[in-house]
Amino acid sequence: MNRQDIDNKTRRRMTVVLFLFLTFTFTFILGRLFIVQILRHESYQTRAIEQQVRDTTITPRRGTIYDRNMKTLAVSASTETVYIAPKSMKDESERVLVATELSRILGVEYETVLKKSRNENYYEIIKRQVEKEQADLVRAFVKEHQLSSVALAEDSKRYYPYGAFASHVLGFTNVDGEGIEGIEAYYNDLLIGKPGRIITAKNAHGTDMPFQYEQYIDAQNGYSLVLTIDEAVQHFIEKGLENAVVEFNVQNRATAIVMDVNTGAILGMATKPDFDLNNPREITDPELLAELEALSGSEYSDRQMEIWQSMWRNKAIADSYEPGSVFKILTAAMALEKNVVTTHESFHCPGFKVVAGVRIGCWKHGGHGTQNMLEGLKNSCNPVFMELGSRVGGADFYDFAEAFGLLERTGIDLYGEATGIFFDKNTIAGGPVETAVAAFGQTFKVTPIQMITAVSACVNGGYLYQPYLVSKVVDDNGNVLESYDPVARRQVLSEQTAATVATMLEQVVSTGTGKNAYIKGYRIGGKTGTSEKIDEKNEEGVADKRISSFCAIAPADDPQIALLLLMDEPETDVVTGGLTAAPTVRKMLEDILPYLGIMPQYTEEELASLEHTVPDVTGLPIPDAREQLKGEDFVPTVIGDGETVLEQVPRSGQKLSRGGKVLLYTESGATGSLKEVPDVTGLSLSAARSKLEKAGFNLSTAGVDLGSQEAHAVAQSPIAGSLAEEGSVVEVEFVHEVSSEWVNVSY
Amino acid sequence: MNQPRRSGRERPQPTGHYNITQLQRQAQQPHPRATEMDLPFFVLVCLLVSMGLVMVFSASSASAYYRFGDSYYFIRSQLKWAVLGLVLMLATARLLNEKLLDLMVYPVVAVSLITLVLVLTPLGTELNGAQRWLFGFQPSEIAKLALILSMSKLICNNRKRIKTWEGGLLPCMLLLALFCGLVVLERHISATVLLLGIGVILMFIGGINVNWLCGLGAAGLGALGLVVLVSDYAKRRMYLWLNPEVEPLKGNFQITQSLLAIGSGGMFGLGIGKSRQKYMYIPEPQNDFIFAIICEELGFVGALIIILVFMLLIWRGFTIAYAAPDRFSSMVVVGIISQVALQTILNICVVTGLVPNTGIALPFFSAGGTSLVVLMFEMGIVLAISRRAKI
Repeated sequence: MNRQDIDNKTRRRMTVVLFLFLTFTFTFILGRLFIVQILRHESYQTRAIEQQVRDTTITPRRGTIYDRNMKTLAVSASTETVYIAPKSMKDESERVLVATELSRILGVEYETVLKKSRNENYYEIIKRQVEKEQADLVRAFVKEHQLSSVALAEDSKRYYPYGAFASHVLGFTNVDGEGIEGIEAYYNDLLIGKPGRIITAKNAHGTDMPFQYEQYIDAQNGYSLVLTIDEAVQHFIEKGLENAVVEFNVQNRATAIVMDVNTGAILGMATKPDFDLNNPREITDPELLAELEALSGSEYSDRQMEIWQSMWRNKAIADSYEPGSVFKILTAAMALEKNVVTTHESFHCPGFKVVAGVRIGCWKHGGHGTQNMLEGLKNSCNPVFMELGSRVGGADFYDFAEAFGLLERTGIDLYGEATGIFFDKNTIAGGPVETAVAAFGQTFKVTPIQMITAVSACVNGGYLYQPYLVSKVVDDNGNVLESYDPVARRQVLSEQTAATVATMLEQVVSTGTGKNAYIKGYRIGGKTGTSEKIDEKNEEGVADKRISSFCAIAPADDPQIALLLLMDEPETDVVTGGLTAAPTVRKMLEDILPYLGIMPQYTEEELASLEHTVPDVTGLPIPDAREQLKGEDFVPTVIGDGETVLEQVPRSGQKLSRGGKVLLYTESGATGSLKEVPDVTGLSLSAARSKLEKAGFNLSTAGVDLGSQEAHAVAQSPIAGSLAEEGSVVEVEFVHEVSSEWVNVSY
Repeated sequence: MNQPRRSGRERPQPTGHYNITQLQRQAQQPHPRATEMDLPFFVLVCLLVSMGLVMVFSASSASAYYRFGDSYYFIRSQLKWAVLGLVLMLATARLLNEKLLDLMVYPVVAVSLITLVLVLTPLGTELNGAQRWLFGFQPSEIAKLALILSMSKLICNNRKRIKTWEGGLLPCMLLLALFCGLVVLERHISATVLLLGIGVILMFIGGINVNWLCGLGAAGLGALGLVVLVSDYAKRRMYLWLNPEVEPLKGNFQITQSLLAIGSGGMFGLGIGKSRQKYMYIPEPQNDFIFAIICEELGFVGALIIILVFMLLIWRGFTIAYAAPDRFSSMVVVGIISQVALQTILNICVVTGLVPNTGIALPFFSAGGTSLVVLMFEMGIVLAISRRAKI
């Protein structure tokens, strides 16, 4: 080969090539890198981190809800979420395996899981709030098949240990753990806590890279709440409500509130029928279920939502009603406060009153005749209160209503509180008829919580409190972070007026239309109410639907609690508050008052009529047994020739009125024969007693007595016609015959 | 030394036309005495190889661990090849002279052609639609060297007739077509493009009429356009390139992930070994897309330094070419350096989305035995030539 020199032309062309290489590198490549790495750095970095980092939320534990004695009413327990990573699935057989097993373990649809497993992503939730048992089964399955496509994550579930208990107050949470009703919703921000995060790097397969870039931000658990609700009190009113709804065939739910009159704290608040907090979406009413089944599509879901909403609605705060005669407490207080009447001032009731040319009737068509103001309240006489209303005057009546908080929300710590419907000031100020009718609680509406708050102000010295349900916020360790003090919003009445009102209310119960709420040994005040739903008329244009209610205070000499019971549309022969609500309130208070440590203090008269407990005299020699029974004012009857008592009827521990017969059997094997229990319903106390004694039974009153001839038996146990041991106790429930007191006010 | 030192620069040469006496005189002159090889070039090569090894380890450790349970899987073999390459390079630098270089041409071409044909037979291995592997090495790597050697020789042989059609363009084109044709049959697009580039550069330096080359270039572009129009595969590649935002999880997955890596590197990078994109986001991060990992770990500054080292290598390579003892070896040096330059530029362009995605390795960095060994053998050739160059 010839060795050639490198000529200049070659060199020049080499220079061109070198120049092109260098300039190209500098301009295009470095320019491009500058754009990507410097100018677009942040956007690329964001996108890169998005895919490289897994941000796992650690759900904080939701706070617990306690009653005022630290009984747990709502608590969160940790559960797990099962999810799959569809893109990590190797093949169809893995999908089928996962779908089969997960649907079997978790009870989810096979098809749904299979469909999710075909998605192009790394995260599909299969089931949330999986309990530990099932989660363990899933874990075992994952381990057995060495799956990387199925995983579990921490999660939590809300438990309500008492089920339907206080359901409308507590409310519940949705699947994301956010409160959507009741206390759960109102205090959600406190209860929910702060979620923590685990930020981990992951590779493109979605697997964590455990040793790198892990950052752990602790979850902060939610705060716990201590309610003013007392579990026992709540239980007592729920029991009473439940029975009342059945007994009086209540069509549109019943509600009751117990309030501490001196603070506004709610001790109990219930609406029945209720729902199970652990399963709040379950519709139990068979009629509604049947109605729902007939629908489909959006009609179905709309109706379902409607049913849920009405089921979850807290009647005590969200529904307004015509307060009826219970409102007379307020009218009386207004008149006394304005000094336009004294309790002994005489009024005459001819059965109606003509106001500004309009004749408005009393519920007692014959009229109450001449009576003083106290008697007017006891009789729930409408004309007396029309007169009082007129004396107070429309403008002041309005101002009082405003002062009692009837025109605004009470501010209770629950969502969904309604206000009533009231006159505007000009209408009532210039309308004597409106004022007269409003004075006995018709033609306007208030909510139950407004009513009980106002009644509380009438007896607690005149202070209107803001009702509240949460008394304390505590942390995990029980440290009190915040306590809520009672908020007195204003003084509406003087202490003197309040004291007078309380005394008057006691009279209503001891001798007036509220008799059926009377409990021996207790000084209970109260007022009945039967109002008509004037905005709901039947086909004939007559408002025939009733709300019967009773508002009690106790003890009347030193009011501690108020209890308002309201039954919306009871459908029985008797619908008046005095016959339906009052006895129910009595039953509730019989439990509540001793529980709250308010002890009975009997008058001599009451002591005389008080039933005693039968002592245990079995095994005693006859003379000793006689002695002991006579000491308790019982009448012993010895049967047989034995020397010691082998058997006694009634047995020890049973309540029996004085003079009750106790049979003492002295020969072995000799016990009383079975006899048929006679029917005593409808009879007065004395008639019932003699009829039972004739038949060889003892009588025990499960309710009011005082030997009143007005009272008649409404129920007995054992029921008529059944067989019972001779000498045993038949419990008879009496109700006072208080006349119906509602009136058609379509004047 | 009796002979006065001469260099092309000292002695003005008549351009274009040569007379017999001149050529005879040149032929009679003995070769310049061999001196030491060019140290700067050697240092630059060593620098690139060692940086390459570090980056191969960093980039491959994660995927090696996940695929083989052994973080060292790739670096171990890469290290073996690098040592073999270094020995081969030093031996070549020491032993090779002009005569041997000249003698080498035909055997290399023969081996290259045989392997290029063999790889098309069932002996070759198909991977991702391209049949480019033969017993674990890529014949196209040898083809590049074979083309450089054979075309340099062809041009030098035909020096006087280089401007003519039948003595210049036609034989060069036939030679180029031979190699390119065989590689095209492998469906190895990037290697074809590289061969074309190297061929055109050598033809340009060899003195082929620029107008013809331009015409050739135009014809090439036209042919490329035609390929894009008829081939669905090429059409799709173009479509994906022109619309980088589409199919980020499918067609544009590699390039999207590559850009995320480069972009998240920023000015100074995440630090060596701290790439996150190497965790299976970028497929085979130790191969064609290793530059993305470099950018992510070392940032713009690191990438700039590596590019500067490449540019220094290219510049030094051309310096050697200028001062080469004769025109043939000079052209061989230019061919080899051009191959490195074109491959580097093309690789970075692919990785940064400047050109459509095609598999092309980054010299000294991408893991791969054949590529590294052949490359270091080529560096050995350059170093051998530098020993007689009068720099």
